Amino acid sequence: MGFFENVLLAISGLRSNKMRAFLTMLGIIIGIGSVIAISTLGSIMENSVMDIFNSQGGANLVAFQLNMKDDAQRDYIMDEDFITADMIKDVEQRFSDDIDVVAVNSGSSSGKMNIRRKDYDITLYGVNPGYIKQSMTKVIAGRYVTDKDCEQFRSTCVISDKQAKKIFGSERGAIGKTIALTMNDGNMIDLTIVGVYQYQLSGMMSAMVNMMGEDWNSEIYMPYTTFNRFQGTNEDRFYYFYVNTKTGVDAESFSTAVTDFLNNGYYRDNDSIEIMYMTAQSQMDMIDQVLGMLQLAISVIAGISLLVGGIGVMNIMLVSVTERTREIGVRKAMGAPNSAIRMQFIVESIIICLIGGVIGILFGILLGNIAGLIVGTTAPPTIGSIVLAVGFSMAIGVFFGYYPANRAAKLDPIEALRYE
Amino acid sequence: MWGDLQMKKNNTPPTYSYGSSAVPVEASKYVICAKDIVKSFYVGTPNELEILHGMTFNVPKGEFVSIVGQSGSGKSTLMNIIGALDRPTSGSYFLDGVDVSRANDKELSAIRNKQIGFVFQTFNLIARTSALKNIELPMLYGGIPAKQRRERAKELLEIVEMSDRAGHMPNELSGGQKQRIAIARAMANDPAIILADEPTGALDSKTGRLVMDLFHKLHKEQGKTIVLITHNNELAEETDRIITISDGNIIGDTGNRNIPREEAEA
Repeated sequence: MGFFENVLLAISGLRSNKMRAFLTMLGIIIGIGSVIAISTLGSIMENSVMDIFNSQGGANLVAFQLNMKDDAQRDYIMDEDFITADMIKDVEQRFSDDIDVVAVNSGSSSGKMNIRRKDYDITLYGVNPGYIKQSMTKVIAGRYVTDKDCEQFRSTCVISDKQAKKIFGSERGAIGKTIALTMNDGNMIDLTIVGVYQYQLSGMMSAMVNMMGEDWNSEIYMPYTTFNRFQGTNEDRFYYFYVNTKTGVDAESFSTAVTDFLNNGYYRDNDSIEIMYMTAQSQMDMIDQVLGMLQLAISVIAGISLLVGGIGVMNIMLVSVTERTREIGVRKAMGAPNSAIRMQFIVESIIICLIGGVIGILFGILLGNIAGLIVGTTAPPTIGSIVLAVGFSMAIGVFFGYYPANRAAKLDPIEALRYE
Repeated sequence: MWGDLQMKKNNTPPTYSYGSSAVPVEASKYVICAKDIVKSFYVGTPNELEILHGMTFNVPKGEFVSIVGQSGSGKSTLMNIIGALDRPTSGSYFLDGVDVSRANDKELSAIRNKQIGFVFQTFNLIARTSALKNIELPMLYGGIPAKQRRERAKELLEIVEMSDRAGHMPNELSGGQKQRIAIARAMANDPAIILADEPTGALDSKTGRLVMDLFHKLHKEQGKTIVLITHNNELAEETDRIITISDGNIIGDTGNRNIPREEAEA
């Protein structure tokens, strides 16, 4: 008796009791479905994080920031603790062979933009030309903030394409126009638009933004020097600055050199504050680790549900063997060897698990991608995970089907024929 | 899958010699050659119970024999042994020259498949499986290719005059029809014997008659060796020979009351 005949036999057996077959499969469907959903979602999230990572310069990005020393004498930051524009310039010169671009951001301020008697929420950022790398933006009309803007304290700004379209009708139409801003602290400023950027957030970020209902991209960028004067400080000070190293520069050793340079120089006499660095790679590794742990935890749960599903299959197979005792007796009388009976029931169990597994895979892909849509990207499931899921569900079929099948095979034909 | 288990059939006389009980000459002459068959249950325990007390009988090829006995006479136990569902505790049983009493489980399966065609009182067709597929079942386990199975099954349907019911499920058939399908199934692998256990027991007298007529037809036209187990003396009277058993012993054997046919003697 061939394998194919066993398959047909098993399918006709399952068709005669569809509801029961489906309920039995449910455990497998949920188990396999969640495994696939998790792995799909996992790769979606990884892609999404990778997108952000790469758009910001990826492995080349390092952040330098103020850090409270372990043996700090105070728990607050004073004016003289801040990173100054001079320090950054110093670093830039000293490490010019390694540095591609430096980005600074001297903070933000919220306020409103009044256009034709309508207020629009905005957030104003003071940045340097290098900041474009960190803001995930691309200039599509005009230009970004330049060094000249910063040096000459110009009242220029760059707005988003959405703002430009909404207020001025087109990106180009916005260039050269002046906007009047009223900040929440009461300060007012007029800025001339010199450029329009295309706002693009990858995956997860845009999902979060969308969920918060912010379909209007409120960021407006202006020269940090002008911003600082506007805020009322005569000095340019920063909590942190970013460096994108040139390709091929080792981020770790570069970062150590820069922090050592700053801490042994500018911060040598500071009793509480020092400079620390954080590479994007280490951040990325951390995110990966968290994602990995999350995936592992859910995989364990999925594993448990597969175990429960498998036990369900075993239970139903035992019921099926008992119900069909007489049939087994007849088959044996007709000359079926034990091996054929065993095979018949194992195949039936495999088929249940396999169908459950396939439905589970489809269900999981669907679920993973629905979650992916919320996040903003979808991902095809990996072939590896599908092969694994199919193989695993078949293995469950064999493992949990063997005992009932063996019981069927070992039935005494005389007893079985007598069974009512 | 079955290559190593193909039973040798209708070939040169076997030369078995298992100790003193070997009866090679007789075993090759008869389809059924049973000698001193004893069947005990709970062997080796204080409750040991001997059901068959040493039965000896031979059935030549082409004989239509009935085994008659009241319930509790050991009829079913004997039937299980003749049908290779069970082995005797002692004694020898040769079926078409093959020693069933010494076969292991796997060999018993093969013997049942090739040499025995069961017909049960309750038909025992496989549910939700068409008449045709039911007939194919023994051939399926016999490793016969699908096309040949299909052809043979159709041929058998014609013999039992059920060709128009090929696709019907057992629950769509009447009792008599079911039994005819069961008989066709029993003949699928052209077995050495057809073993019918109260085949008319669940049928009314009219359909029972039709089933009996079918057995007679198979006996006469196809030269089948048929063993009919029954407690119905009237049915037994129709057969060539009646073996009567009681309390695990043979208490009567009429021998073949009809003129033996020439093929049977050959």
